[in-house]
Amino acid sequence: MSGKHGHKPFEGHMHDYMAHIKAVEEDLEYYRAKRFEPRIFYLLRRNVVTFYDLLKVRAALKKKDHFFQFAKPQGKNIEARVRYLEEWLDEYVKGIALVSARTVEGMDMVTEDNRKERGDYDEFFKIKKKEHQGTLEERMANLQQDLTDYSELLEVFVQALMRRGWATREDLTQRWKQLHDERAWAGGVIVAKAWSDPEFKQALLATGREALREMGVHQGKVGKLVVVENTEQTHNVIVCTLCSCYPYDILGDTPWWYKHESYRTNIVQNPRACVKELFQLELPSDKELRVWDSTSDVRYFVLPQRPAGTEGMAEPELAKLVTVDSLIGAGYALEPGQLREREAAHGEAEMPRVRPD
Amino acid sequence: MSETTGKYKIGDAVMVAVENPKGNPRTPKYIRGKRGVVALAHGRLENARDHRGIHDPLYTVKFDLTELSACHDSDTIWVDVHEEWLREVERDS
Repeated sequence: MSGKHGHKPFEGHMHDYMAHIKAVEEDLEYYRAKRFEPRIFYLLRRNVVTFYDLLKVRAALKKKDHFFQFAKPQGKNIEARVRYLEEWLDEYVKGIALVSARTVEGMDMVTEDNRKERGDYDEFFKIKKKEHQGTLEERMANLQQDLTDYSELLEVFVQALMRRGWATREDLTQRWKQLHDERAWAGGVIVAKAWSDPEFKQALLATGREALREMGVHQGKVGKLVVVENTEQTHNVIVCTLCSCYPYDILGDTPWWYKHESYRTNIVQNPRACVKELFQLELPSDKELRVWDSTSDVRYFVLPQRPAGTEGMAEPELAKLVTVDSLIGAGYALEPGQLREREAAHGEAEMPRVRPD
Repeated sequence: MSETTGKYKIGDAVMVAVENPKGNPRTPKYIRGKRGVVALAHGRLENARDHRGIHDPLYTVKFDLTELSACHDSDTIWVDVHEEWLREVERDS
C-alpha cells in the first residue's frame, strides 16, 4: 500500500474510525483545493481548457468511455467502508498527478505557478476548504458524495484535455500504469544503508542526492537534498511553513498532518510542546531540538538514530524499522521488539494522527 | 553547489529584511526583521521543477527560538533564506 494513510510497512486493523475519516477529509480537501483546482484555473486562464469544454464533454460522456474506473467497496462492515474511502482518495490523488506537465501539452506549470494559483501568497486567491461535521455515518456519507463529485470533475477534465488534443488516451493510459507501479519505498533502504555503511552515511550527509546515485534508488529532481542526522545531543524535525515542501520525489507523500496548518504553525512557535503533544515525543531537557523550515530550494529529511538491539542485523531487516514519521523527526525508528509487537497487532503504526482541533 | 558564490559566509550574523521590493515570496513572515546566524551556504541553486529562473544564493539561517517566539526553550529554528532578503548585522551587540 502506498497511500498517504498507510505508513509503510504496516497495514492492518483500525481502531479509531473517526481518526481515519478525518484524515481522509483533510487530505481530500488538500488535494482538491491545493493540487487539482489550481491546475484547472491555470489552464482556464490560458484558454487551454474552458468551462464550455467541460460542459460539452459532460453532456456527451458515456459510461463506457470513462478514463477512470474507481473500485467498488469490498464489504459492508465499517472497516471495509473506511478502507474503501481511503483507497478511492488514493486513486483520486493519482488521477490529479496524471494531469501534469508530463502528460498535458499545454500545461507548462512549475510548482511556483501552482502556489500562486492556490493563493499561497495572497489570501484573495485562496480556494476555501470545506468544513466537515457530524456523526461518523454522516461524515462517511458526505465523503462518499464528495469523492463522487470530485472524481466526476476530474474525469470530465481529463476528457476535455483529450478532446482538445492536449493529451492522448494512449499517453495517459501509460502514465496511469506507471503511477500504479509500486516503487519500493526508498526511505528504509537509504537509512538502513546509512546505519550499516559509515562511508555511505558520510557521503549522504555531505552530498545528499549525489550519494543516492550509486545506490540505485530513485534520486528525484526537486531542489537540493539535505539529510540531517539525529544524535544523542540533537533531535531534528522537518516542516515547510509556507506550503508543504518535502522530498516526495524520493520518499513519497507525507502524512496528512504534515500539510496541516496547525502543525506548520505550532512547530516553529513552541516546538518542544508540539512534538510532545502531536507525536508523544518527550525530549530530554539537555537534547537540542532543531526545526528545519524548508522554505525554498532545499528538501530535507531526517536520518533517525539506529535503535538499540539491532547489532548485526542485515540491511533489509533494518529497513523495516524505519517509519515515515521517523524521517520527519515525528518519531524514532522502531526497536526490533516494537516492530514485532506492531506486526502482531497489525497496524498500530498505520494510525493516522487525530486532527488537532 | 558552490559555497563561495554568496555575499555571506557561515557564521555571519544576519538580519532578515522586513520587506523585499524584488518580491521573492519564499521567506516566511515569522522570521522577517529577526536576527540569526548563517549556518549553511548553498550557493545559487537551479530548481527548474519548482520555479523558473535562478534566485539569489541561498543560505540556511539558524535562529534562536527566543528570537522568534515567546517560548523560552533553548531550541533552534533553521530556515532557508535567499541573499536578497538578508542584511548584515554587527555581531552580538
